[in-house]
Amino acid sequence: MRLRIAFLLLILACCFCDLYATPTSQPKKPAVKAAPEKPKKKVVPAKVRLDSSSVTVHRLDQQVLDSLAADEDFKYYTKDYKKEETLWDKFWRWFWDMVGKLFPNVSAGSASIIKYILIGVAVICAVFLIIKLASSDLSNIFLRTPKEAALPYSESLENIHEISFDEEIEAALAARNFKLAVRLLYLASLKQLSDAGLIHWELGKTNSAYLEELGDTDRRQTFGVLTRQFEYIWYGNFPVDATSFNNIQTLFADFKKLLA
Amino acid sequence: MENENFEQRTDMTRLSQAIEQIKAAIHHVVVGQHDTIELLIAGILADGHLLIEGVPGVAKTLTAKLIAQSIDAKFSRIQFTPDLMPSDVLGTSIFNPKTIEFEFKRGPIFGNIILIDEINRAPAKTQSALFEVMEERQVTADGQTYKMEEPFIVIATQNPVEHEGTYRLPEAQLDRFLFKVEVKYPSFEDEIAIITQQHQHKTAEQITEIHAVLSADDIIAARKQVREFYVEPKLIEFVAKIIHETRNSKSLFLGGSPRASLAIINSAKALAAMKGRDFVTPEDIIWVAPAVLRHRIMLTPDKEMEGVTPDEVVAQIIQKIEIPR
Repeated sequence: MRLRIAFLLLILACCFCDLYATPTSQPKKPAVKAAPEKPKKKVVPAKVRLDSSSVTVHRLDQQVLDSLAADEDFKYYTKDYKKEETLWDKFWRWFWDMVGKLFPNVSAGSASIIKYILIGVAVICAVFLIIKLASSDLSNIFLRTPKEAALPYSESLENIHEISFDEEIEAALAARNFKLAVRLLYLASLKQLSDAGLIHWELGKTNSAYLEELGDTDRRQTFGVLTRQFEYIWYGNFPVDATSFNNIQTLFADFKKLLA
Repeated sequence: MENENFEQRTDMTRLSQAIEQIKAAIHHVVVGQHDTIELLIAGILADGHLLIEGVPGVAKTLTAKLIAQSIDAKFSRIQFTPDLMPSDVLGTSIFNPKTIEFEFKRGPIFGNIILIDEINRAPAKTQSALFEVMEERQVTADGQTYKMEEPFIVIATQNPVEHEGTYRLPEAQLDRFLFKVEVKYPSFEDEIAIITQQHQHKTAEQITEIHAVLSADDIIAARKQVREFYVEPKLIEFVAKIIHETRNSKSLFLGGSPRASLAIINSAKALAAMKGRDFVTPEDIIWVAPAVLRHRIMLTPDKEMEGVTPDEVVAQIIQKIEIPR
């Protein structure tokens, strides 16, 4: 839409320019209506009289003319002043010298071909550079980008392969923290599955993703039950006492046997 | 309940029944679109407004109408057009010669379920009229504030393809929608089912067969119940991490707002309710996160040019964060 408006304005501008630039054949109309012309008096042509006075031709002194012609200050157009060479001119002079050295035995015709080849190569390089820049991340130059701020939390990446589960479970049970003990049992079962090559352990994977990896097997069914136990206790904060913990521990022990 | 071994803390019988009834009522007419319907119901339970986006002809308006039809509440439909004025939506004061006073004539926004069709057809001025009513659930006109009746749900539809004659919703307006639900094309099998259903002249009859299965009071009660659901503190931290990552992502120009964090938690609770749980799991959060974030985040221009979608960025962000367990 903007493009269309711009195009329209351009056409209008051209029309106006044309209007002002082209000399019109018709005379301009007066802005104010002219007053009615008075009746003209009849003009009687005067008698032409010849100028009989004598004309003296002045001639300039040739010496003076020569001295003025020789004066440097009056040589406006013919003055062959030497333009000061800029760095750009120097670069091109150097460039063409180099070309001359590289191709010393080329004729004038071949030189112009080389010139066009070089210009072509330069254009290709420029296009390549533009494409490369366009594909690169230019947002850093023109736009605000989110700063890589330090995260306001510590990432405690837990590796199930480095946890000593037996010790940790014992410590949790000693503290009567059954909720934590169930969590550790679940993590231990994930480690067992990973060690058996049945799942690929990743921090960002959900419990359902691990269940999917197990396929349609008995292991999946049993692990599904364990997962629900873990989720209700760990995420759901359902209370777990020593008796229920023993039942859950048995389920995990059975699963371990199933994997063996 | 997913697990019979655990004693039920919350009586969810009525809620579960109601959810199943709504789903059944909608699926009676709409073929497929399971995720869309799940999200719409979750949005209603989470007390949020819903934006449905999809190409023409994918049953956006029909689905929204069916949702409204399955709830026994005051329903209004507003077709947004380029010449629509804020007073056409909110209402206007009219002089009553009998009482010699100006009286406020309430607009169609005064209802329980408001279907705004083609929301992006109206100019910014009319869209802005929705700011107050959507967030504060009230309308202020001539110095008088009118509270909306609960439940108040705005279900808006928009078409992502057409740009001519449409006005993009401002970020502040988008942030007021709990979800942006993307309605995709049906699968091949679903397409056949749709054609067959239409061919047998069933659709029109089925629409009239849909009756309200929930009352406005049921919705209010269900929302109250869902609000009380348990969320493990580590999961709250998980949500905060996701939102912080969106603010620090190099792929994003604009990250999620605190309103987005609250929206994820509330909608994850609603999803848990739909699964028969009274607590949230990381999977609930992961499932609702794209619908909550896709309209709130903004991609950097280079990512947009690469054709990356907000959903892909959200998935990458979540993938990097450790699942709390």
